[in-house]
Amino acid sequence: MNIVGISACTAGIAHTYIAKEKLIKTGQELGHNVRIETQGTIGIENELTKQEIEAADLVIIAADIKVSGKERFKGKRIIEIPTHIAIKAPKQLYKKIEMELSASK
Amino acid sequence: MLKKLQIKKHALTAISYMLPLVVASGLLIAIGNLTGGTVIENYKESFSIPSALVSLGVLGMGLLAPVISAAIAYSIADRPGIAPGLLMGLIANAIGAGFLGGMLGGFIVGFFVLFLKNHLKVPKWAEGLMPMMIIPLISSVVVGLLMFFVLGLPIVWATDGLTSFLTNMQGSMKFVFGAILGGMAAFDFGGPVNKVASLFADGLLLEGIYEPEAVKILASMVPPFGVTISWILAKALRKKRYTKKEEDNIKIAFPMGVCMITEGVIPIAAVDLLRVVTSCTLGAAVGGGLSMMWNVGSPVPSGGMFIVPAMTHPLLFTLALLIGSTVTGVMLFLWKKEPVENQDFSLDEEEEEMDLSGIKIS
Repeated sequence: MNIVGISACTAGIAHTYIAKEKLIKTGQELGHNVRIETQGTIGIENELTKQEIEAADLVIIAADIKVSGKERFKGKRIIEIPTHIAIKAPKQLYKKIEMELSASK
Repeated sequence: MLKKLQIKKHALTAISYMLPLVVASGLLIAIGNLTGGTVIENYKESFSIPSALVSLGVLGMGLLAPVISAAIAYSIADRPGIAPGLLMGLIANAIGAGFLGGMLGGFIVGFFVLFLKNHLKVPKWAEGLMPMMIIPLISSVVVGLLMFFVLGLPIVWATDGLTSFLTNMQGSMKFVFGAILGGMAAFDFGGPVNKVASLFADGLLLEGIYEPEAVKILASMVPPFGVTISWILAKALRKKRYTKKEEDNIKIAFPMGVCMITEGVIPIAAVDLLRVVTSCTLGAAVGGGLSMMWNVGSPVPSGGMFIVPAMTHPLLFTLALLIGSTVTGVMLFLWKKEPVENQDFSLDEEEEEMDLSGIKIS
Protein backbone atom coordinates (compact mmCIF):
# COMPACT_ATOMS: atom_id res chain seq x y z
CA MET A 1 0.00 0.00 0.00
CA ASN A 2 0.99 3.60 -0.48
CA ILE A 3 0.51 5.37 2.82
CA VAL A 4 0.98 9.04 3.67
CA GLY A 5 0.49 10.66 7.03
CA ILE A 6 1.11 13.42 9.53
CA SER A 7 2.64 13.20 13.00
CA ALA A 8 2.40 15.92 15.65
CA CYS A 9 2.81 15.87 19.45
CA THR A 10 2.34 18.43 22.19
CA ALA A 11 5.88 19.61 22.78
CA GLY A 12 6.64 19.07 19.11
CA ILE A 13 10.27 18.08 19.62
CA ALA A 14 10.46 14.36 20.34
CA HIS A 15 7.35 12.20 20.09
CA THR A 16 6.49 13.70 16.70
CA TYR A 17 9.69 12.31 15.24
CA ILE A 18 9.64 9.00 17.11
CA ALA A 19 6.11 8.37 15.82
CA LYS A 20 7.24 9.16 12.30
CA GLU A 21 10.19 6.75 12.49
CA LYS A 22 8.04 3.97 13.92
CA LEU A 23 5.35 4.32 11.28
CA ILE A 24 7.88 4.33 8.46
CA LYS A 25 10.08 1.53 9.78
CA THR A 26 7.28 -0.84 10.70
CA GLY A 27 5.43 0.01 7.50
CA GLN A 28 8.46 -0.81 5.37
CA GLU A 29 8.96 -4.11 7.17
CA LEU A 30 5.41 -5.00 6.23
CA GLY A 31 5.98 -3.98 2.62
CA HIS A 32 4.21 -0.65 2.58
CA ASN A 33 5.46 2.55 1.07
CA VAL A 34 5.15 5.15 3.85
CA ARG A 35 5.72 8.92 3.81
CA ILE A 36 5.12 10.97 6.96
CA GLU A 37 5.02 14.74 7.26
CA THR A 38 5.98 16.12 10.69
CA GLN A 39 4.28 19.12 12.23
CA GLY A 40 6.57 19.88 15.17
CA THR A 41 7.10 23.15 16.99
CA ILE A 42 9.62 24.08 14.29
CA GLY A 43 6.81 23.95 11.70
CA ILE A 44 6.03 21.58 8.85
CA GLU A 45 8.90 19.40 7.67
CA ASN A 46 8.92 16.77 4.96
CA GLU A 47 5.77 18.23 3.46
CA LEU A 48 3.68 15.76 1.48
CA THR A 49 3.40 16.53 -2.21
CA LYS A 50 0.18 16.55 -4.16
CA GLN A 51 1.28 13.52 -6.15
CA GLU A 52 2.10 11.56 -3.03
CA ILE A 53 -1.30 12.28 -1.56
CA GLU A 54 -3.04 11.40 -4.80
CA ALA A 55 -1.21 8.08 -5.03
CA ALA A 56 -1.94 7.17 -1.41
CA ASP A 57 -4.36 4.42 -0.47
CA LEU A 58 -4.55 5.50 3.15
CA VAL A 59 -3.78 8.50 5.36
CA ILE A 60 -2.50 8.00 8.92
CA ILE A 61 -2.76 10.98 11.23
CA ALA A 62 -0.83 10.33 14.43
CA ALA A 63 -1.40 13.46 16.48
CA ASP A 64 -2.16 14.61 20.03
CA ILE A 65 -2.95 18.12 18.85
CA LYS A 66 -4.71 19.84 15.98
CA VAL A 67 -2.88 19.35 12.69
CA SER A 68 -3.07 21.70 9.74
CA GLY A 69 -3.76 20.87 6.12
CA LYS A 70 -6.29 18.07 6.66
CA GLU A 71 -8.36 19.36 3.73
CA ARG A 72 -5.68 17.98 1.41
CA PHE A 73 -6.95 14.48 2.19
CA LYS A 74 -10.52 15.02 1.06
CA GLY A 75 -12.01 11.77 -0.27
CA LYS A 76 -9.15 9.67 1.13
CA ARG A 77 -9.48 6.97 3.72
CA ILE A 78 -8.14 8.41 6.95
CA ILE A 79 -7.21 6.83 10.27
CA GLU A 80 -6.60 9.12 13.24
CA ILE A 81 -4.70 8.01 16.33
CA PRO A 82 -2.78 9.57 19.21
CA THR A 83 1.02 9.45 18.83
CA HIS A 84 1.50 6.94 21.65
CA ILE A 85 -0.21 4.21 19.62
CA ALA A 86 2.17 4.76 16.71
CA ILE A 87 5.09 4.72 19.15
CA LYS A 88 4.15 1.78 21.34
CA ALA A 89 2.20 -0.48 19.00
CA PRO A 90 2.93 0.20 15.34
CA LYS A 91 2.63 -3.47 14.36
CA GLN A 92 -0.77 -3.82 15.96
CA LEU A 93 -1.81 -0.62 14.27
CA TYR A 94 -0.89 -1.89 10.82
CA LYS A 95 -2.57 -5.22 11.52
CA LYS A 96 -5.70 -3.37 12.53
CA ILE A 97 -5.55 -1.26 9.36
CA GLU A 98 -5.21 -4.32 7.16
CA MET A 99 -8.14 -5.99 8.91
CA GLU A 100 -10.39 -2.96 8.62
CA LEU A 101 -9.56 -2.43 4.98
CA SER A 102 -10.12 -6.04 3.96
CA ALA A 103 -13.38 -6.13 5.92
CA SER A 104 -14.74 -3.11 4.11
CA LYS A 105 -13.86 -4.38 0.66
CA MET B 1 -20.08 12.28 23.90
CA LEU B 2 -17.16 13.49 25.98
CA LYS B 3 -14.76 11.67 23.72
CA LYS B 4 -16.25 13.35 20.69
CA LEU B 5 -15.59 16.81 22.15
CA GLN B 6 -11.85 16.01 22.23
CA ILE B 7 -11.25 18.24 25.25
CA LYS B 8 -7.78 16.79 25.75
CA LYS B 9 -6.68 17.41 22.18
CA HIS B 10 -7.74 21.06 22.36
CA ALA B 11 -5.95 21.57 25.68
CA LEU B 12 -2.78 19.90 24.36
CA THR B 13 -2.89 22.07 21.24
CA ALA B 14 -3.00 25.13 23.50
CA ILE B 15 -0.04 23.87 25.52
CA SER B 16 1.97 23.28 22.37
CA TYR B 17 1.41 26.85 21.23
CA MET B 18 2.05 28.21 24.71
CA LEU B 19 5.34 26.41 25.48
CA PRO B 20 7.76 28.47 23.36
CA LEU B 21 6.19 31.65 24.71
CA VAL B 22 6.53 30.57 28.36
CA VAL B 23 10.10 29.42 27.88
CA ALA B 24 11.19 32.62 26.14
CA SER B 25 9.40 34.88 28.62
CA GLY B 26 10.60 32.96 31.66
CA LEU B 27 14.20 33.00 30.51
CA LEU B 28 14.00 36.72 29.71
CA ILE B 29 12.80 37.40 33.25
CA ALA B 30 15.48 35.15 34.76
CA ILE B 31 18.34 36.61 32.71
CA GLY B 32 17.10 40.13 33.40
CA ASN B 33 16.72 39.47 37.13
CA LEU B 34 20.15 37.87 37.39
CA THR B 35 21.76 40.89 35.76
CA GLY B 36 19.99 43.30 38.10
CA GLY B 37 16.98 44.32 36.06
CA THR B 38 13.55 45.24 37.36
CA VAL B 39 10.20 45.82 35.69
CA ILE B 40 10.13 49.21 34.00
CA GLU B 41 7.47 51.43 35.53
CA ASN B 42 7.88 54.44 33.30
CA TYR B 43 9.13 54.12 29.74
CA LYS B 44 9.66 57.87 29.41
CA GLU B 45 12.62 57.72 31.78
CA SER B 46 15.85 55.96 30.84
CA PHE B 47 16.16 52.26 31.60
CA SER B 48 18.83 49.55 31.42
CA ILE B 49 19.11 46.53 29.15
CA PRO B 50 18.43 44.06 32.01
CA SER B 51 15.28 45.99 32.88
CA ALA B 52 14.21 45.86 29.24
CA LEU B 53 14.65 42.07 29.32
CA VAL B 54 12.63 41.65 32.53
CA SER B 55 9.87 43.86 31.19
CA LEU B 56 9.69 41.98 27.91
CA GLY B 57 9.43 38.71 29.82
CA VAL B 58 6.64 40.08 31.99
CA LEU B 59 4.80 41.31 28.89
CA GLY B 60 5.20 37.86 27.39
CA MET B 61 3.78 36.19 30.48
CA GLY B 62 0.80 38.51 30.18
CA LEU B 63 0.17 37.05 26.73
CA LEU B 64 -0.26 33.56 28.12
CA ALA B 65 -3.97 33.60 28.91
CA PRO B 66 -4.87 35.14 25.52
CA VAL B 67 -2.63 32.65 23.69
CA ILE B 68 -4.07 29.66 25.58
CA SER B 69 -7.60 30.84 24.96
CA ALA B 70 -6.98 31.59 21.27
CA ALA B 71 -5.21 28.28 20.67
CA ILE B 72 -8.04 26.29 22.27
CA ALA B 73 -10.64 28.16 20.22
CA TYR B 74 -8.53 27.66 17.10
CA SER B 75 -8.24 23.95 17.77
CA ILE B 76 -12.01 23.69 18.12
CA ALA B 77 -13.27 26.08 15.46
CA ASP B 78 -10.27 26.66 13.20
CA ARG B 79 -9.32 30.20 12.13
CA PRO B 80 -12.54 31.99 13.15
CA GLY B 81 -11.79 30.96 16.73
CA ILE B 82 -8.56 32.94 17.00
CA ALA B 83 -9.84 36.52 17.27
CA PRO B 84 -12.61 35.90 19.83
CA GLY B 85 -10.26 33.52 21.64
CA LEU B 86 -7.65 36.27 22.10
CA LEU B 87 -10.35 38.58 23.44
CA MET B 88 -11.58 36.01 26.00
CA GLY B 89 -8.00 35.58 27.22
CA LEU B 90 -7.69 39.33 27.70
CA ILE B 91 -10.89 39.32 29.76
CA ALA B 92 -9.44 36.53 31.90
CA ASN B 93 -6.33 38.67 32.49
CA ALA B 94 -8.34 41.78 33.26
CA ILE B 95 -10.67 40.23 35.84
CA GLY B 96 -7.87 38.22 37.46
CA ALA B 97 -9.10 34.81 36.34
CA GLY B 98 -5.64 33.94 35.03
CA PHE B 99 -4.97 30.87 32.97
CA LEU B 100 -7.99 28.95 34.30
CA GLY B 101 -10.19 31.71 32.95
CA GLY B 102 -8.29 31.69 29.68
CA MET B 103 -8.84 27.97 29.26
CA LEU B 104 -12.51 28.14 30.09
CA GLY B 105 -13.06 31.16 27.86
CA GLY B 106 -11.25 29.43 25.01
CA PHE B 107 -13.39 26.32 25.27
CA ILE B 108 -16.68 28.18 25.47
CA VAL B 109 -15.94 30.63 22.69
CA GLY B 110 -14.47 27.87 20.53
CA PHE B 111 -17.56 25.69 20.73
CA PHE B 112 -19.80 28.72 20.29
CA VAL B 113 -17.97 29.76 17.11
CA LEU B 114 -18.16 26.20 15.82
CA PHE B 115 -21.90 26.22 16.51
CA LEU B 116 -22.33 29.52 14.66
CA LYS B 117 -20.29 28.21 11.73
CA ASN B 118 -22.44 25.14 11.39
CA HIS B 119 -25.90 26.43 12.23
CA LEU B 120 -26.13 30.13 11.50
CA LYS B 121 -27.60 30.57 8.04
CA VAL B 122 -27.33 33.95 6.37
CA PRO B 123 -28.51 35.18 2.95
CA LYS B 124 -26.07 34.68 0.11
CA TRP B 125 -25.00 38.34 -0.02
CA ALA B 126 -23.96 38.23 3.65
CA GLU B 127 -21.81 35.13 3.44
CA GLY B 128 -18.64 37.15 3.01
CA LEU B 129 -19.42 38.93 6.24
CA MET B 130 -19.67 35.72 8.24
CA PRO B 131 -15.99 35.13 9.04
CA MET B 132 -15.08 38.82 8.95
CA MET B 133 -17.79 40.39 11.06
CA ILE B 134 -20.73 38.27 12.10
CA ILE B 135 -18.93 35.38 13.83
CA PRO B 136 -16.27 37.44 15.61
CA LEU B 137 -18.78 40.03 16.76
CA ILE B 138 -21.57 37.74 17.93
CA SER B 139 -19.22 35.32 19.68
CA SER B 140 -17.28 38.11 21.39
CA VAL B 141 -20.44 39.82 22.59
CA VAL B 142 -22.17 36.69 23.86
CA VAL B 143 -19.23 34.85 25.43
CA GLY B 144 -17.51 38.09 26.44
CA LEU B 145 -20.50 39.24 28.49
CA LEU B 146 -20.84 35.74 29.90
CA MET B 147 -17.22 35.91 31.03
CA PHE B 148 -17.53 39.38 32.55
CA PHE B 149 -20.81 38.90 34.39
CA VAL B 150 -21.37 35.20 35.02
CA LEU B 151 -18.35 32.95 34.71
CA GLY B 152 -15.65 35.38 35.77
CA LEU B 153 -16.42 35.47 39.48
CA PRO B 154 -16.36 31.73 40.24
CA ILE B 155 -13.09 31.39 38.32
CA VAL B 156 -11.55 34.28 40.21
CA TRP B 157 -12.65 32.58 43.43
CA ALA B 158 -11.23 29.28 42.28
CA THR B 159 -7.94 30.90 41.28
CA ASP B 160 -7.73 32.80 44.57
CA GLY B 161 -8.68 29.69 46.51
CA LEU B 162 -6.05 27.58 44.80
CA THR B 163 -3.44 30.29 45.25
CA SER B 164 -4.07 30.74 48.95
CA PHE B 165 -4.34 26.97 49.48
CA LEU B 166 -0.91 26.51 47.95
CA THR B 167 0.72 29.44 49.72
CA ASN B 168 -0.69 28.36 53.10
CA MET B 169 0.32 24.73 52.83
CA GLN B 170 2.67 23.50 55.53
CA GLY B 171 5.31 20.80 56.01
CA SER B 172 4.03 17.32 55.22
CA MET B 173 1.17 18.65 53.14
CA LYS B 174 3.70 20.39 50.94
CA PHE B 175 5.70 17.22 50.60
CA VAL B 176 2.62 15.27 49.47
CA PHE B 177 1.69 17.93 46.95
CA GLY B 178 5.23 18.10 45.56
CA ALA B 179 5.41 14.32 45.42
CA ILE B 180 2.18 14.01 43.43
CA LEU B 181 3.20 16.76 41.04
CA GLY B 182 6.71 15.34 40.64
CA GLY B 183 5.44 11.82 40.10
CA MET B 184 3.00 12.99 37.46
CA ALA B 185 5.62 15.07 35.69
CA ALA B 186 8.02 12.14 35.44
CA PHE B 187 5.45 9.42 34.78
CA ASP B 188 5.37 9.44 30.98
CA PHE B 189 8.60 11.21 30.05
CA GLY B 190 7.18 14.33 28.46
CA GLY B 191 3.89 12.75 27.41
CA PRO B 192 0.33 13.89 28.14
CA VAL B 193 0.36 13.25 31.93
CA ASN B 194 3.55 15.26 32.17
CA LYS B 195 1.92 18.05 30.18
CA VAL B 196 -1.02 18.21 32.59
CA ALA B 197 1.36 18.66 35.53
CA SER B 198 3.29 21.15 33.42
CA LEU B 199 0.28 23.24 32.56
CA PHE B 200 -0.69 23.34 36.22
CA ALA B 201 2.78 24.52 37.24
CA ASP B 202 2.98 27.07 34.42
CA GLY B 203 -0.44 28.41 35.36
CA LEU B 204 0.59 28.89 38.98
CA LEU B 205 3.71 30.68 37.78
CA LEU B 206 1.39 33.32 36.35
CA GLU B 207 -0.18 33.71 39.78
CA GLY B 208 3.28 34.32 41.24
CA ILE B 209 3.72 30.88 42.82
CA TYR B 210 7.13 29.54 41.83
CA GLU B 211 7.46 26.28 43.80
CA PRO B 212 5.52 23.89 41.51
CA GLU B 213 7.65 25.05 38.59
CA ALA B 214 10.80 23.92 40.39
CA VAL B 215 9.18 20.53 41.03
CA LYS B 216 8.35 20.23 37.35
CA ILE B 217 11.93 20.99 36.31
CA LEU B 218 13.30 18.57 38.87
CA ALA B 219 10.95 15.79 37.77
CA SER B 220 11.99 16.22 34.15
CA MET B 221 15.61 15.64 35.08
CA VAL B 222 15.27 12.80 37.59
CA PRO B 223 14.64 10.06 34.97
CA PRO B 224 17.75 10.71 32.83
CA PHE B 225 19.93 11.35 35.89
CA GLY B 226 18.51 8.34 37.75
CA VAL B 227 19.11 5.99 34.84
CA THR B 228 22.64 7.34 34.55
CA ILE B 229 23.26 6.74 38.27
CA SER B 230 22.01 3.15 38.00
CA TRP B 231 24.38 2.59 35.07
CA ILE B 232 27.33 4.07 36.99
CA LEU B 233 26.45 1.91 40.03
CA ALA B 234 26.32 -1.16 37.80
CA LYS B 235 29.71 -0.27 36.29
CA ALA B 236 31.28 0.43 39.69
CA LEU B 237 30.02 -2.83 41.19
CA ARG B 238 30.80 -4.81 38.04
CA LYS B 239 27.24 -5.92 37.57
CA LYS B 240 25.62 -5.92 34.20
CA ARG B 241 22.34 -4.03 33.95
CA TYR B 242 22.30 -2.61 30.45
CA THR B 243 23.08 -3.87 26.96
CA LYS B 244 25.64 -2.13 24.81
CA LYS B 245 22.89 -0.41 22.89
CA GLU B 246 21.19 0.80 26.06
CA GLU B 247 24.51 2.13 27.36
CA ASP B 248 24.80 4.21 24.20
CA ASN B 249 21.28 5.48 24.78
CA ILE B 250 22.15 6.46 28.35
CA LYS B 251 25.16 8.41 27.11
CA ILE B 252 22.76 10.42 24.96
CA ALA B 253 20.03 10.66 27.60
CA PHE B 254 22.29 12.26 30.22
CA PRO B 255 23.28 15.44 28.32
CA MET B 256 19.67 15.70 27.16
CA GLY B 257 18.65 15.51 30.82
CA VAL B 258 21.00 18.37 31.70
CA CYS B 259 18.97 20.46 29.24
CA MET B 260 15.72 19.18 30.87
CA ILE B 261 14.72 16.94 27.98
CA THR B 262 13.34 13.75 29.52
CA GLU B 263 12.60 12.04 26.23
CA GLY B 264 16.09 10.52 26.04
CA VAL B 265 14.96 7.92 28.58
CA ILE B 266 12.16 6.64 26.34
CA PRO B 267 14.31 4.08 24.47
CA ILE B 268 15.52 2.70 27.81
CA ALA B 269 12.04 2.69 29.30
CA ALA B 270 10.45 1.11 26.24
CA VAL B 271 12.26 -2.20 26.68
CA ASP B 272 11.58 -2.41 30.42
CA LEU B 273 8.51 -0.28 30.94
CA LEU B 274 7.33 -1.33 34.39
CA ARG B 275 10.68 -1.11 36.17
CA VAL B 276 11.90 2.08 34.57
CA VAL B 277 8.61 3.98 34.85
CA THR B 278 8.05 2.94 38.47
CA SER B 279 11.57 3.84 39.54
CA CYS B 280 11.53 7.18 37.73
CA THR B 281 8.11 8.14 39.08
CA LEU B 282 9.10 7.27 42.65
CA GLY B 283 12.43 9.11 42.42
CA ALA B 284 10.75 12.20 40.99
CA ALA B 285 8.07 12.03 43.69
CA VAL B 286 10.68 11.98 46.47
CA GLY B 287 12.70 14.78 44.85
CA GLY B 288 9.58 16.82 44.10
CA GLY B 289 8.29 16.45 47.64
CA LEU B 290 11.61 17.61 49.12
CA SER B 291 11.91 20.53 46.72
CA MET B 292 8.39 21.68 47.57
CA MET B 293 8.95 21.25 51.32
CA TRP B 294 12.18 23.25 51.15
CA ASN B 295 10.34 26.04 49.32
CA VAL B 296 12.50 25.91 46.23
CA GLY B 297 10.97 28.13 43.59
CA SER B 298 11.78 28.72 39.95
CA PRO B 299 10.67 31.81 38.05
CA VAL B 300 11.64 30.06 34.79
CA PRO B 301 9.59 27.18 33.43
CA SER B 302 12.29 25.48 31.39
CA GLY B 303 16.02 25.27 30.80
CA GLY B 304 17.37 22.48 33.00
CA MET B 305 20.63 22.89 34.93
CA PHE B 306 21.32 26.20 33.19
CA ILE B 307 18.57 28.01 35.05
CA VAL B 308 19.26 26.54 38.48
CA PRO B 309 21.15 29.72 39.50
CA ALA B 310 17.96 31.67 38.86
CA MET B 311 16.04 29.65 41.44
CA THR B 312 15.31 30.79 44.98
CA HIS B 313 17.43 28.05 46.63
CA PRO B 314 19.82 26.64 44.01
CA LEU B 315 21.70 24.42 46.48
CA LEU B 316 18.59 22.89 48.01
CA PHE B 317 17.25 22.29 44.51
CA THR B 318 20.43 20.47 43.53
CA LEU B 319 20.24 18.41 46.71
CA ALA B 320 16.61 17.44 46.08
CA LEU B 321 17.46 16.56 42.49
CA LEU B 322 20.37 14.45 43.64
CA ILE B 323 18.32 12.58 46.26
CA GLY B 324 15.49 11.94 43.82
CA SER B 325 17.85 10.71 41.11
CA THR B 326 19.66 8.47 43.58
CA VAL B 327 16.36 6.88 44.64
CA THR B 328 15.62 6.13 40.98
CA GLY B 329 19.15 4.96 40.32
CA VAL B 330 19.46 2.60 43.31
CA MET B 331 15.99 1.21 42.72
CA LEU B 332 16.73 0.50 39.06
CA PHE B 333 20.07 -1.05 39.91
CA LEU B 334 18.52 -3.42 42.45
CA TRP B 335 15.41 -4.21 40.45
CA LYS B 336 16.66 -4.53 36.89
CA LYS B 337 17.63 -7.98 35.68
CA GLU B 338 20.85 -8.83 33.91
CA PRO B 339 20.28 -8.31 30.20
CA VAL B 340 21.03 -10.83 27.47
CA GLU B 341 23.50 -9.12 25.19
CA ASN B 342 22.83 -10.91 21.95
CA GLN B 343 19.14 -10.39 22.04
CA ASP B 344 17.99 -7.59 19.83
CA PHE B 345 16.37 -5.05 22.08
CA SER B 346 15.13 -2.87 19.29
CA LEU B 347 11.79 -1.38 20.17
CA ASP B 348 9.86 -3.19 17.49
CA GLU B 349 10.35 -6.58 19.07
CA GLU B 350 8.22 -5.97 22.09
CA GLU B 351 4.91 -4.27 21.91
CA GLU B 352 2.51 -3.49 24.66
CA GLU B 353 -0.98 -4.84 24.13
CA MET B 354 -3.09 -1.92 23.02
CA ASP B 355 -6.81 -1.57 22.75
CA LEU B 356 -7.34 -0.34 19.23
CA SER B 357 -11.03 -1.19 19.06
CA GLY B 358 -12.13 2.44 19.23
CA ILE B 359 -10.15 3.40 16.16
CA LYS B 360 -12.02 3.59 12.91
CA ILE B 361 -10.93 4.32 9.39
CA SER B 362 -13.15 6.95 7.91
